[in-house]
Amino acid sequence: MVNKIQELKEKALKELETVNSAKELQDLKVLYLGKKGPIQELMMGMKDLSKEERPAFGQAVNEVKSFLEQKMEEARKVIEEKELALRLENEKIDITLPGFKMEQGNLHPLTLMQRELEDIFIGMGYTVEEGPEVEYDLYNFERANIPQDHPARDMQDTFYINAEKLLRTHTTAIQTRQLEAANGKLPIKMICPGKVYRRDDDDATHSHQFTQMEGLVVAENITLADLKGTLEFMAKKVLGESSKVRFRPSFFPFTEPSVEVDISCHMCGGKGCNVCKGTGWIEVLGAGMVHPDVLEMAGIDSSKCSGFAFGVGVERIAMLKYGVDDIRHFYTDDVRFLKTFNRFE
Amino acid sequence: MKLSYNWIKEYVDLSGITPEVLADKLTNAGFEVEGIDYVAQGTNLVVGEIVECTDHPDSDHLHLCKVNIGSEVLNIVCGAPNARTGLKVIVAKVGAELPEITIKAGKIRGQESNGMLCSLRELGVSEKILTEKQINGIEELPEDAVVGNEDVLAYLGLDDVILDVGLTPNRADFMAYFAAAKEVSAVVNRPCTLPTSVKADKEESATIKISSTTDKCPLFLGKYIHSVTIKESPAWMSQRLQACGIKSINNVVDISNYVMLETGQPLHFYDASKNEAKELRAESEKDFTYMALDGIDYKIEPNDIVIMSGNNCAGIAGIMGGEDSKIDDDTKEIIIEAASFSAVAIRNSARRLNLGTEASTRFIKGIEPVAPYKAMERAVSLLIEYADAKGIEETVEYGSNNYQQTEFDVTLSFINGRLGTKYSMDEVIAVLNRLDFNPTVNDDIIHVVIPSYRPDVTIPDDISEEVIRLIGYDSLESTLPLMPMTLGALSKEQANRRVIEKTLGGLGLQQVISYTLVSDEHIADGVMPLGETVTLASPLSEERKNVRSSLLPSMLDVVNYNVSRNQANVNIYEISNVYANDKVEERLGIVLLGTLQNLAWNKTSIKSDFYTLKGIVETVLERLGFNATRVCIKENTEDTKAFHKGKSACVYLGKELIGIIGAIHPTLAKKYGLKEVYMAEIKLDAIYGAKASKVKYVPLPKYPASKRDLAFVVKRDMNVSNIVDVIKKVGKSIVKDVEIFDIYEGEHVAADEKSVALSVLYQNEEKTLTDADINGVQDQIMEALEKQLNAVLRK
Repeated sequence: MVNKIQELKEKALKELETVNSAKELQDLKVLYLGKKGPIQELMMGMKDLSKEERPAFGQAVNEVKSFLEQKMEEARKVIEEKELALRLENEKIDITLPGFKMEQGNLHPLTLMQRELEDIFIGMGYTVEEGPEVEYDLYNFERANIPQDHPARDMQDTFYINAEKLLRTHTTAIQTRQLEAANGKLPIKMICPGKVYRRDDDDATHSHQFTQMEGLVVAENITLADLKGTLEFMAKKVLGESSKVRFRPSFFPFTEPSVEVDISCHMCGGKGCNVCKGTGWIEVLGAGMVHPDVLEMAGIDSSKCSGFAFGVGVERIAMLKYGVDDIRHFYTDDVRFLKTFNRFE
Repeated sequence: MKLSYNWIKEYVDLSGITPEVLADKLTNAGFEVEGIDYVAQGTNLVVGEIVECTDHPDSDHLHLCKVNIGSEVLNIVCGAPNARTGLKVIVAKVGAELPEITIKAGKIRGQESNGMLCSLRELGVSEKILTEKQINGIEELPEDAVVGNEDVLAYLGLDDVILDVGLTPNRADFMAYFAAAKEVSAVVNRPCTLPTSVKADKEESATIKISSTTDKCPLFLGKYIHSVTIKESPAWMSQRLQACGIKSINNVVDISNYVMLETGQPLHFYDASKNEAKELRAESEKDFTYMALDGIDYKIEPNDIVIMSGNNCAGIAGIMGGEDSKIDDDTKEIIIEAASFSAVAIRNSARRLNLGTEASTRFIKGIEPVAPYKAMERAVSLLIEYADAKGIEETVEYGSNNYQQTEFDVTLSFINGRLGTKYSMDEVIAVLNRLDFNPTVNDDIIHVVIPSYRPDVTIPDDISEEVIRLIGYDSLESTLPLMPMTLGALSKEQANRRVIEKTLGGLGLQQVISYTLVSDEHIADGVMPLGETVTLASPLSEERKNVRSSLLPSMLDVVNYNVSRNQANVNIYEISNVYANDKVEERLGIVLLGTLQNLAWNKTSIKSDFYTLKGIVETVLERLGFNATRVCIKENTEDTKAFHKGKSACVYLGKELIGIIGAIHPTLAKKYGLKEVYMAEIKLDAIYGAKASKVKYVPLPKYPASKRDLAFVVKRDMNVSNIVDVIKKVGKSIVKDVEIFDIYEGEHVAADEKSVALSVLYQNEEKTLTDADINGVQDQIMEALEKQLNAVLRK
């Protein structure tokens, strides 16, 4: 009997070696260890043995049974691993095919630039004010200290709608409205971005429509040095920490003193290059101390308070920062152009 | 403004200050020098004389010249046709640097040549001021030119440098050389000496009539001079005029222009023999045609100022004189006019007549109030010196310049307070003295008296500018305002706008900005009309004539622009104000074309169609706090001209129409060179104004949900939303969601019917739903659908 057990074991092991799949293994398991299999048959045959023989035989059969069970379990693991490996191999994809880079829309570069400027000034406690583009002569010129027949009206050719109304030529119109709205209540600390219009023929550097962002601070003891510090802060944030600011005397009817503001060239760091035409400086904006007449017209006592104002051309800064060579790109809106401006810097 | 360096040098000592340094200093003081132009340039030049001139053996046009330059005789090969023996010439010696060439010793066709004989053109003189002969040949120097003179440019008066100075409107005074000299003197901090005038020993009593009948000419000076001699101007005068772009004509005409350059006051000289009435009278309110001295007829209107003499017109005041009375070679006696004319009147006339002259430019920019007196004095002086003026009558003066000297107080603390500087009293006073503001100090108070040529200085703030302008902006510190705290923040509208931009960007739409000014056609093609169109009084073109009242037409242009550049997918939005008479509205425009998202090889794409557009608009509204329950999308009854009637809808927020969305009308599409695009225009003010829903926590369900799929057959033209509404209404207590997952038309469904497959999600917040619970409600739903919509459950 013992030999028979041993033969059975040898035979089962031999067959186990030929098993290649989970299915074959299952079949083999049923064949040997199933209810109708030879192991079970041997166990059934134990009743024909003498009482003395039974324990040893039973033990021997059980040993073989558990031995085979263990071997089959080991075989199952191996087969499963093999099959998994095969499956993974078969499921391999071509990772070089393009991914689904979903289209993200961008802010228009002028919005991007404007927002960058807005956020700098919001951080310094400025509010963002707006106003109508179809504006009264009163707010665009009169209140900005540019009365009828003032020579400065020659400086900005205006789109008039009728004798009273026009398309605003500068966002100073928002300032004069805000000064009036403040009704003498100070401080005023605001920026006013917006579209402005001048009777210019469109070319690479001129546009009849463009974007300005002016700033206005009115309080006690505001100085020209404060203006310089504020603009220097802006320049550093927008064009880089090493930026410097230079004032040159100029003239605007609504400021006194008035200055042209140059920023050190961000391309060459002030050494001189094509962008700054070799000067190391780029003329970027106009600014000055608010003219006392402008304050007085808004009911603010110019002997007690002072203010500064500045105006930035948003296109100008964007063109400098991104190296755009034609202002018309901003308004023809070629989507390939627009897609370039895909992040804040 | 053209500033002659040599001329200014006559009034202010500029030794050690090169034109370049002066340009820098002026720029830093507010007079931006835009260009530096050397009239002529050249080193190693000398005056020589051709002592022998023979033909070159190997050339039909070259000459072999022996040129005596004093120290030696040079052999020079010269190609100029006018080279000849005995001619005094400009010689560029070996090593000379000319604007376009460096002279080297060499051989020309085998003949030795040690230098070059020059034309003025070769020295860089502009062809504009040269004669044909000067351009084509070498310069012929006068016989008395001294051989060996090495300072050739100075000898020829060509050593000048012209600075092109950009003037700000407040500093028109700088156009007068006398005032410019004062400014330069202040800038370089050196004294200024202006020329003194000579006077007639005795003036005769006046015999002419001078008057003005218009307030546009408040001051009129006239002077009769009975004898002048017309001849050539002295060289220095014609050179200076030339430097300033004015042609030299004769001594008398040149003096009128020269004085204008000196004082800023335009003068007019009339030939007195041609003025029979011996009268000059400024008048307006005239209406006739007049030929000015350029030979062109000008239509005079009532607002123009004219100068009358008796019944004849003698000139367009302040702009141009007449042909009849101009100075010519035969002129023997003259009448001088020095008057003040209204800048506004001159500007309007000059513009209307399209006639800008040296005179009109000066009147428009503003002239020193006392300039007519100064100019008259200078003119007389120069006429005596250079035109043998005799028989000089007294000046006749009509009207007044109403000039009052400006003087006021300013304090040192005010100046430092406005500027943020710490200048001492001494520093400030030094600057004010440089400017001739005659400061007197009393404690902190400085009293200033402003010279008449500086009408721009009227208030203490102007003094602060003058001080820092001359001390230099370099010294200004950078500080930040010390002031009460303010809250920097965006308004609700601005914050909402950013939400829209962020949402649409995230969905793949590009923001565009298009022009505000549009054509009549664009106005006609607009949607949701706002009111009467805002039209420009004088537009630049038909294209840019009106202020737009709708965004879509300009955006369709943008799509067309991109399509014509082979862009198949153009998905854009714009946020902008639109206008009508007395109305403004902020709007959002969206146009979709092609696909919004696409991964072609994977066959995954989001088409730019109606449902994509609808979803985008709904998403934007949701992000602004208006979910589906507050937004209603209904049949388009508003605009079936721009939109395709069957593929568009109106969007309502509550009961208010806030926009239209849908496919473009095929006719409009064709007009903009497009096929099918989907577009929306939304009124944002209405949305900003409405109360947004609050973000609120809702507890998550505790009990599981159950999903049941149903399919119904309904009439083909029935809106699926009807079915969904009935399901939600009837199953209100436990229907959480209805999802449409298929719409089918075709085989097994009648031709006028469609099958709609829906997935209904059932859930109860109190307990787990049993089959019986769900079946009870679902039976009611099916019954209601059958009754109300004739919807038949598909088995």
